Amino acid sequence: MVTFVSGISIVCFAASYGVAFLFEISRLIFRSGLRGAAMVGFAAAGFMAHTLFLGWRAATEQAVPLSSAFDWYLLAAWSLAAGYLWLTLANPRTPVGLFMLPVVLGLICAAQWASREPFSQSPATQVWGAIHGIFNLLGSVAVAIGAVSALMWLIQADRLGKKEPPIRGFRMPSLEKLAQITSRTAIIAAWATGAGFASGLVLNAVNRQRGLLDTVPWTDPVVVRMGALVVWLVIVAIVARVMARSPHGSRRVAILSMISFGLLVMSIVWGLLGNTRHGMPPQQVFRVHSASRWVVHS
Amino acid sequence: MMLALVGGTHRTVPLALRERLVFSADQAIDAMRRFRERFPGREVVLLSTCNRVELYSAGEQSAGPPPTDQMVSFLAECRGIEKSELAGVLDGQLDEGVVRHLFSVASGLDSMVLGEPQIIAQVKQAWAIARDSETAGPLTGEMFSAALRTAKRVTSETSIGRERLSIPSIAVADFASGVFERFDDKQVLLLGAGKMASETLRYLRTAGARDILILNRSRSRAIDLADRLGATSGAWEDLEQQLQSADLVVSTTGATKPIVSEAMFSRAFSRRCGRPLVVLDLAVPRDFDPSIGRRPGLWLYSIDDLGAACEANRKSRQRELPAAIAIVDEETRRFMGDLHHRSSGSVIERLRADWSETGDTELERLFHRLPKLDPAEKSEIRQAFERYANKLLHPPMESLRSASHAGPPHGLLDALKRLFDLKD
Repeated sequence: MVTFVSGISIVCFAASYGVAFLFEISRLIFRSGLRGAAMVGFAAAGFMAHTLFLGWRAATEQAVPLSSAFDWYLLAAWSLAAGYLWLTLANPRTPVGLFMLPVVLGLICAAQWASREPFSQSPATQVWGAIHGIFNLLGSVAVAIGAVSALMWLIQADRLGKKEPPIRGFRMPSLEKLAQITSRTAIIAAWATGAGFASGLVLNAVNRQRGLLDTVPWTDPVVVRMGALVVWLVIVAIVARVMARSPHGSRRVAILSMISFGLLVMSIVWGLLGNTRHGMPPQQVFRVHSASRWVVHS
Repeated sequence: MMLALVGGTHRTVPLALRERLVFSADQAIDAMRRFRERFPGREVVLLSTCNRVELYSAGEQSAGPPPTDQMVSFLAECRGIEKSELAGVLDGQLDEGVVRHLFSVASGLDSMVLGEPQIIAQVKQAWAIARDSETAGPLTGEMFSAALRTAKRVTSETSIGRERLSIPSIAVADFASGVFERFDDKQVLLLGAGKMASETLRYLRTAGARDILILNRSRSRAIDLADRLGATSGAWEDLEQQLQSADLVVSTTGATKPIVSEAMFSRAFSRRCGRPLVVLDLAVPRDFDPSIGRRPGLWLYSIDDLGAACEANRKSRQRELPAAIAIVDEETRRFMGDLHHRSSGSVIERLRADWSETGDTELERLFHRLPKLDPAEKSEIRQAFERYANKLLHPPMESLRSASHAGPPHGLLDALKRLFDLKD
């Protein structure tokens, strides 16, 4: 059993999700009675492998989920995969996977690029670090789900506007339901990302106060980007709240939610490729600090 | 030629023209009476629904139905439309084509929604109106009753109408359900209280709608429908006010002009505070003025907008189509055989009359020579003569009947006339 679990790699569950995604695409091409079971089977197998992989890391490498950028992305992907499985089992005729599985696979790809080194943690900052990670995770998952429902809203509204019949085996949820999800996730995303950003500020302030090594400058690109993203998400949440009863409201909120997701993706890509001290382990922080004119407190 | 048909359906006639061509019940009665005056001795039935207008005519050999172009002219004249407008969109059929078409129509095979049951009632009603106004006759009567029999066979022997799909059900399932997640918290406004309204109401109830208000010009019919199907009825004068509060409007009236003008709709819509409104205008002519157009928050569908959805539905039920078509073909052949055989009826009657007359003469002569026969013996002999004549006639009658399946048995009839010297 141990050998089996230790042998699970990212490729195992990424491939399972990939096959489930291909089955989802095949909905558009042909009908099959067996496809649903095969699709859920592959997705469930992938999810199981994904869970065991995260569990194994937690048990053997003390890499509790959220303890590194790598684990953070995998946990975000795991949350969305769980959501996908639940939605598919509850609504087998709705092609949620066509929209959610690419996000899951994208997050797994991002994990491959991300650092596996654990974030620096001290007993004093451990709680704030966990709060920061959990809220950011919740906010990102909410933005992703909001974007998926927004995209489905736009497709459904386009179909109804063109007065076309639903594609067989590709039945979208109603505009009412999708608008509700988009609007709620916009508000959850604003609150969660705001709380994540605020807890990050507290975490950094505590680190600075205690003179720890891994402080992040207030002008760090990640801090600035996340701050801007929080402001944007708050605006989207206000628009979602205020325009709920407007004839154009749902469409505008859907478009804004798509833009939010675009900004989140840009932020992730920038975080992977750009130069930042956010989330760096102490050794790397030291190297970065040494290379720059940053003052290192000992 | 004994049967003729001229008509157009949702496939051939655009909605705007169909709206002008459609007949109300009173207009249909008037048109059929005028037809009888213009073409005396011809039977006529007018079938006018939201998706088709078809004029069926029949006549015996001596006075067959008028040529189809005259029937097109008649329809154009009745509705005040230029004949040239109709010439390209109306189809004509003769004899077997007419029968096959009517049987397909009654079975729901020619409907927007394949196998929909509503058309049976509409065909039955068209025939009843023609019968009551004395414009139908024995030929159309037999054809329409055979059509209803065929429809029953298609329903019972195939599963083409198993899901009892109809235009209202497709409108609600494919479009209204695309906008609204549930109907139990929605206010539904149903305009009209006819068969389509009743069908829609049943489907909405199944879909979960609780708050359904029926408005109809005749309040008593609205109350009757509401009582039967557990809805409420309101005053027709409150239409504009109800448009402000409804979430879903289904309109099925038989009005000949739009009942909701652009101005009335704009006033009501502006007071809705942005709440989305779904309008399913299933009436022909349309109940909502076409100039209302697209607006944010308004999802307005007319009957022609459902065409693609109905076609998709039709494709999904195509598997049952061959079995239904086979029944229609079989019934068409049987009806045409009977019809052709009927044309030989006069010859057979004359032959029987001749033989009977000859038999009677011979019997009288025999009874004259045998005066001691009592009435019972005379009766026995008379019956024996009749049996003998019938047995002699049976083979030629069967030959005529079997030849009738392939068409009118003109050759055999001519031979009989010549062999037995039968005069017209």
